[in-house]
Amino acid sequence: MIPLSYNVRSLQARKVTNLLTALGIGLVVFVLATALMLTEGIKRTFALTGSDSTAIVIRKGSDAELSSWFDKKHQALVMAAAGVQQNADGKPAGVGEVVLVVIAKKQGTELLSNIRVRGVTENVLSFRPEVRIIQGRPAKPGTNEVLIGSQLVGRFEGMKLGNTFELKKNRPVRVVGVFESGGSSFESEIWADVDVLRSAFGREGAVTAVRVKLTSAAAFDGFKAAIESDKQLQLEALRESDYYAKQSEMTSAFVQMLGVSFSIFFALGAMIGAAITMHATVAQRRQEIGTLRAIGFGRLSVLGSFLVESLFLALVGGLLGLLGALAMGLVKFSMMNFNGWNEVVFSFVPTGAILIKALTFGGVMGIIGGFFPALRASRVVPAEAIRR
Amino acid sequence: MSEQNATPSGASVGETFVRLRNVSKIYQRGAEKLRVLDNIDLEIKAGAFEALMGPSGSGKTTLLNLIAGLDRPTDGTVEVGDTKLSALREGRLAKWRARHVGFVFQSFNLLPVLTAEQNVALPLLLTSLSSAERKKRALTALKVVGLSDRTNHFPRQLSGGQEQRVSIARAIVNDPDIIVADEPTGDLDRQSADEILDLLQKLNQEFNKTVLMVTHDPVAAERASLTRRLDKGSLQ
Repeated sequence: MIPLSYNVRSLQARKVTNLLTALGIGLVVFVLATALMLTEGIKRTFALTGSDSTAIVIRKGSDAELSSWFDKKHQALVMAAAGVQQNADGKPAGVGEVVLVVIAKKQGTELLSNIRVRGVTENVLSFRPEVRIIQGRPAKPGTNEVLIGSQLVGRFEGMKLGNTFELKKNRPVRVVGVFESGGSSFESEIWADVDVLRSAFGREGAVTAVRVKLTSAAAFDGFKAAIESDKQLQLEALRESDYYAKQSEMTSAFVQMLGVSFSIFFALGAMIGAAITMHATVAQRRQEIGTLRAIGFGRLSVLGSFLVESLFLALVGGLLGLLGALAMGLVKFSMMNFNGWNEVVFSFVPTGAILIKALTFGGVMGIIGGFFPALRASRVVPAEAIRR
Repeated sequence: MSEQNATPSGASVGETFVRLRNVSKIYQRGAEKLRVLDNIDLEIKAGAFEALMGPSGSGKTTLLNLIAGLDRPTDGTVEVGDTKLSALREGRLAKWRARHVGFVFQSFNLLPVLTAEQNVALPLLLTSLSSAERKKRALTALKVVGLSDRTNHFPRQLSGGQEQRVSIARAIVNDPDIIVADEPTGDLDRQSADEILDLLQKLNQEFNKTVLMVTHDPVAAERASLTRRLDKGSLQ
């Protein structure tokens, strides 16, 4: 076999051209890896939001909380259903909430975006123990005080501890606390008192969803049967984890499709670039190839050697692309969640599988781009090529 | 290296080693047919040092390539030792070259990105020798050509004469039956050329290598035990 050092050093001999080719491949790997990382980030954000042992009840036929409205009087029936956990005080562990979307101006721009507002009850923090107030204090029930998720801070006008902003015209609220919830989508929400919100938006007597903690994850089927068997209620029960997975489906599929489409489109260009570079390499090293063939290296050895060279070039580019993609892990990215029509902040989440997948894609590009030049190299006629 | 009076192929010095029978070579250039070699009959003895001279385009290099298994005749047969080269397929011919032929080229043809030692060891990569054994043999070959102190130098760090000596070390490292040298002194000054010719003579006389050298240089040809002349594809 032709030594690998020959390929590596030959690549070093034409640093600029080869580096540019590697960067072309690196760009594709970067685009693919970041798209997959963002897709993973979206899934994780929503997965963190939901729990297996919590059930969410919404109006039958509605896809999301936002499009679900039902009478507040049904809330008590839901909380009394089989399988619902009881708190120490004997009350059911559940919350009935109102969710809607308001428009807010992005900090320092004229751009407007949707933010989700959740009308919460007094027990919201005990119901969601993962939520931690990192600045300020809990809001007082029945007042115009609100909590905001940490991802909103500084991104929208007025979204800062101590500031006042309007939920709608002449409906000012004051930020008294900022919370985190382990990276879940709650961190992109405003939490206001449920009754204040109902009154402000004319939704008295309504809830959008009721969440209950179940005695165990296994209790869900019984609970669901109890809720859905009452045809008059016209309600639907879902595991909270399934509900959020469904919420992320469309957005993550869109990002993945966009990323993969761009990657394939760019990959064509990068492969052509790699092919041009490798063709030039073969032409420049024709005498060397002729010498190797004369010495006794077979066609397959030459083919393999140039394929390895092209693969190596692609992997160097791919690793550079991955480094760039990993750096994106430090960046937060906000985009519209298609199911909720509100802006949610996501992170680029790298996984081993994503990195391997993106690097393999780069390697395959190297092999495809390098194949025809390598074939051409293997067909060099030694008697002709050894002479200057 | 082999014992005295026995060539690396096992043939005794003086036995016929290369046989060409009615060899012709025709190149097709578009519609035109170019007869480069015309009905050549030739025998070369084992352990000989022969020079092949002739004007440009007379077919010297083509003849050398046919004997080295780099090209195939259009008509006729080429036999080297016990092997009928014209009967071998591409892959087998490459293996045969690796085992039996050492090449020395006018422009040295060293791989610029490999050191002298790595260049010399290249043909050994086609054998089953261990890495340590390959290194040992490459260093021995470099010692034979007097370049023990240049093993880690790259070709660009060597003079033309030194490059050609590395090329000769590469040609002898796998103990071939025959060394084919195509204008080995063509790119060298007189002093370096003489050193190379000394080396080829040494390989022929001390190690019984069969040497076939194409040259334009009458001084170089004088070092050979026999000079053949080729003109318009025919031996004179």
